Amino acid sequence: MSFLGDVLREAFSALVGFGPELREVVGLTLVVSSLSTTIGCLLGIPLGVAVALGRFPGRAALRVLIGIGMGIPPVLVGLVLLLLLWRTGPFGGLGLTFTPAAMVVAQVVLATPVAAGVTLGSVEALPETAREQLAALGLSFPQASRLAILESRAGVVSAVVAAFGRVIAEVGAVLVVGGNILGETRVLTTLIVQESRQGRFGFALAAGFVLLVISLVANVGFDRLRRRP
Amino acid sequence: MSHWRYPADGSIVEVDGLSLGGRLGVIGPNGAGKTTLLRLIAGTLGDGEPAGTYLPQRPHMFRGSVRLNLSIGLATEEVHRAMQLFDRFGLDREMLDAPAVSLSGGERQRVALARALARPASPVLLDEPLTAFAAADRPEACRVISEGIGERDAVIIAHDLVELAMLADRLAVLIDGRVRQSGALAEVLAGPADQDVASLMGVSNVVDGTVMTTDDGLLELAVGARAVLGMGSGAPGDRGRALFAAESVAVHPGGVDEEGSPRNHWPGIITDLRDRGRLVEVFVDVGFPVIALVTRGSADALGLASGESVELSVKATAIRIVGM
Repeated sequence: MSFLGDVLREAFSALVGFGPELREVVGLTLVVSSLSTTIGCLLGIPLGVAVALGRFPGRAALRVLIGIGMGIPPVLVGLVLLLLLWRTGPFGGLGLTFTPAAMVVAQVVLATPVAAGVTLGSVEALPETAREQLAALGLSFPQASRLAILESRAGVVSAVVAAFGRVIAEVGAVLVVGGNILGETRVLTTLIVQESRQGRFGFALAAGFVLLVISLVANVGFDRLRRRP
Repeated sequence: MSHWRYPADGSIVEVDGLSLGGRLGVIGPNGAGKTTLLRLIAGTLGDGEPAGTYLPQRPHMFRGSVRLNLSIGLATEEVHRAMQLFDRFGLDREMLDAPAVSLSGGERQRVALARALARPASPVLLDEPLTAFAAADRPEACRVISEGIGERDAVIIAHDLVELAMLADRLAVLIDGRVRQSGALAEVLAGPADQDVASLMGVSNVVDGTVMTTDDGLLELAVGARAVLGMGSGAPGDRGRALFAAESVAVHPGGVDEEGSPRNHWPGIITDLRDRGRLVEVFVDVGFPVIALVTRGSADALGLASGESVELSVKATAIRIVGM
């Protein structure tokens, strides 16, 4: 039997068996990524709308920051967060190092600029007439934001998709702040790193497949949202 | 914000020289900066704060029903007002639940106009509010808009001076981004600051009066002891305004003997003659001031001079009368 054949067979049996180890990791992955996507979007989408429509000092700086945040290496975010949360660091008292909470915080930091940046782009892409009408209506910021989001809904759904994508695919930050502790902070991506390093390629591949399925299901859902009249 | 410079070509639109207050009509050739001026006042352009209630030239309908669009940003009481305006602009209540994007351009504009007028903010800023209406509906639309503006200050852009005359009391002429002339409507019409303004006007005579009788589109406007017959719409008792071009006024020294087709005959006295190149502007007091435009040749042949008695005649079809 060839090497690849062995790997595929092993992966298949891991998926069929779907043992407690995999179940636990999948569960934590879903919780951490959905929570951080949700919080990241709740922060990022209004931020994007504000930068697109608002008139306040520091707008240009925010736009640059969002751009940087969209491309910042996750592992760097993980490192900085680890330093902040370290036992003897400024937020050491919270005791968050190597916990799922720290992983969520790290991923919120990664997801927020992505959600903001894509939202910003889509609201700015609204026709000039729509933006002018928004300004002309004398609306409060929440009212104007609601209309702007509804009007550029497809773009805002894309912001959610992009934020989710950033989070679900991410390995560096969760590895550094979470520590990849089995049963506590191991998620699908860090599991793949761990298992492939140890030569358990089949199990790693099975985890990768589950990751793809999660992504598929999520994106089918997002697409429905985008198309709703 | 006193001016706006377009980044693309450096051209400038200035707000300086424009005094708001009352109902100001803005007129000017295409590309003069009328819309930019209005956007500067509305605060949607530049770094000013949004001010007043503003009807953009191409109003946007948001996703959602007509009802939703009509009531965006309005308090309950204002929605009620918007609904009344909606009816009076000839829109059908059955369309309220239709998606707003399905409306025609004119319908969209009327919905947006109802919404803009229903907001209590001042000044009222309207960018070509009448293009949404068919020519025949415009006089009535003007009446509704005028009531909608009420006592508030307003700035109104229009292409057609006759239509503007129904809505505005003052006029600003915008050319190349600058206010070339502004003042009371009749003042600007009677004394264009320069040739550009004059050619933009087309009509140079404005007479205010009271509509007396109407007969099939022919209106009689009482101006003091005189009557002005013209075409237009209005109800007896309404305030009315007659507009006609200096070119349409014929000058007869020593009266008119024969009965011709012109319905308006006004005896008066020449107060001034002004040289306009090959043409001469004849200022005549017939109880109200009228400007007639004649060629230099006929002015000489007729021996027109200040202090002379003349009779003016104007065909009723050359006079537009608008109810106010």
